[in-house]
Amino acid sequence: MILQTRGLAFRHGERRVLTGIDLAVGAGELVALVGVNGSGKSTLLRLLAGLLAPEAGAVELDGVPLARLSRRRIARRVAVMHQTMPPVPGLTVRRLVRQGRYPTEGPLGMLRQHGHDARTDEAMELTGVAHLADRVLDTLSGGERQRVRLALALAQNADVLLLDEPTAHLDVRHQLEMLALVRDLRAARSLTVVTVLHELDHAARFTERVVALHRGAVHADGPPAEVITPGLLAEVFGVAGRVAMDDVHGTPHCVLDHPLDPDDAAAHATSS
Amino acid sequence: MNRALGAFVLVVAVVAAHLATGGATAADVLAVVQGHPTGLDARLLWEYGLPRLLTAALTGSALGVAGYLLQSVLRNPLAAPELTAVNPGAVLGVLGGTVLGAVAADAAAGSLLAALVGGALGGGLSWALAAGGGPGRVVVAGLLGSAVLGGLTTMLLAYQPSRFGNVLRWLAGSVEGRVWDHLTVASWWIPLWLAVAWAASAAVGVLQGGDEHAASLGLPPRTGRAAVLAVALALTAGAAALAGAISFVGLVVPHAARWLARGEPRACVPVAALVGAAALTGADALAQAATHLLAAGHLGHRLGVPTGVVTALLGAAVLVAVVRRERPA
Repeated sequence: MILQTRGLAFRHGERRVLTGIDLAVGAGELVALVGVNGSGKSTLLRLLAGLLAPEAGAVELDGVPLARLSRRRIARRVAVMHQTMPPVPGLTVRRLVRQGRYPTEGPLGMLRQHGHDARTDEAMELTGVAHLADRVLDTLSGGERQRVRLALALAQNADVLLLDEPTAHLDVRHQLEMLALVRDLRAARSLTVVTVLHELDHAARFTERVVALHRGAVHADGPPAEVITPGLLAEVFGVAGRVAMDDVHGTPHCVLDHPLDPDDAAAHATSS
Repeated sequence: MNRALGAFVLVVAVVAAHLATGGATAADVLAVVQGHPTGLDARLLWEYGLPRLLTAALTGSALGVAGYLLQSVLRNPLAAPELTAVNPGAVLGVLGGTVLGAVAADAAAGSLLAALVGGALGGGLSWALAAGGGPGRVVVAGLLGSAVLGGLTTMLLAYQPSRFGNVLRWLAGSVEGRVWDHLTVASWWIPLWLAVAWAASAAVGVLQGGDEHAASLGLPPRTGRAAVLAVALALTAGAAALAGAISFVGLVVPHAARWLARGEPRACVPVAALVGAAALTGADALAQAATHLLAAGHLGHRLGVPTGVVTALLGAAVLVAVVRRERPA
């Protein structure tokens, strides 16, 4: 297993965000984390990247606890695509993506330029933002920003990619483009990808494994066809709905009917 | 190429202005360059004019780069050595060291050490007053810390007024009266830390993006920020030990440097150093010119206009313009 958590727990102040998370991600897997807002998806992603310290348990990278690795060693193996841009006035796309080389070049990187600019260009080419290289970040559209964030993560040349809602704030077309890009990059570069997604249909179509978080714990974990069920819709998302098979793609497709009131959702959880 | 030419013209212009307002002629400069400063004016240029020029250039470059580092890693365009209690701390350190007898008034290494200790205490006071409120709050706490340290400096002066006859000029910031002996440490100390700051440009750029951004890219933000602040402290202490409390250079120069470097991280430190050196050398040329004007009114023998007064007056005007330009839409 390339990434593994054992009894992972995290508390934010008085609020317990995650508890008892045991998750193993194999090399080359493409895993979706799903759940309602506040279920701990982004927190789990940050714990997997070592950006947060767990209250209990541990995250291991190739069997070595992250706590025993330096930040730089982690960043050489694990890249994170965040939801927000660094707020630096006047920063251009090229300069931001170039910062993705920092884990490799180190704090005195100004002294060794060779090869890093080529990697930067490659990351921008792969994500289709090379033509935006000299644009200032503030002037980009939502879709362009998402691809720039992905280019920054790719420039790290890490083999594990953690994506925090890569389709947030994108229109339907750009959502599909982004997910297809991630899927293709995963295949082309033999990446291991864990991504937070809100759309269950996207998780079903673009990933092979879905991990559903509910109240800070893993509620279900498996292939989309096994995890995405009417029971999951009711228990985790509080929604009455049906799950049909998409004939074209052979993946589950959710038809959502209406929100359940909390008592019904709880009863559903108890009965199942 | 145009930028290199522009930088060359700028350097030649401010050096020429400084030499001219200092009373040096082309013949004096030639005599010094040829290594034969035998005439009185040529001797004055060698003994006083050139050390003063070098002091202004070194101090300006140190403050310009220190300000750039502070503004970048604290992510606040109003961060500067004099507004984060570092410079007032360094000044208090030198004065305190002199009062306690630990530092001889003209000892270059002793002054630097006292400025380092004082600057570190000033920066530490800012950090403590910020109480973990994040980089932005450090600047607000820095203003408070600067006021406290300024009060302590005034108290020291009031305690032993006779001991500090010339110190008021130094407190306003002055490069006047510096000779080669004063530069024995600063002439390698400041270039050394300028080189370290340039080599760390990548880390500074990453820290500018915020803590999570830096951590994601493998740079522990607290450690990285502390290291960069230490470099800023070393530069500020070097400048304070040389020229006292020069204000506004560390605040205004980084804005000009970022604009001139067009945000290119590798260029920001060298440009901040060059612009800082040019700004303070130019300001000192103005101070020399103003002194001559006052001398004509029979005040000049007792009153050389301190360079810090010129930087304060010019800097305030530039700062108002910068704040208006950077006001969020």
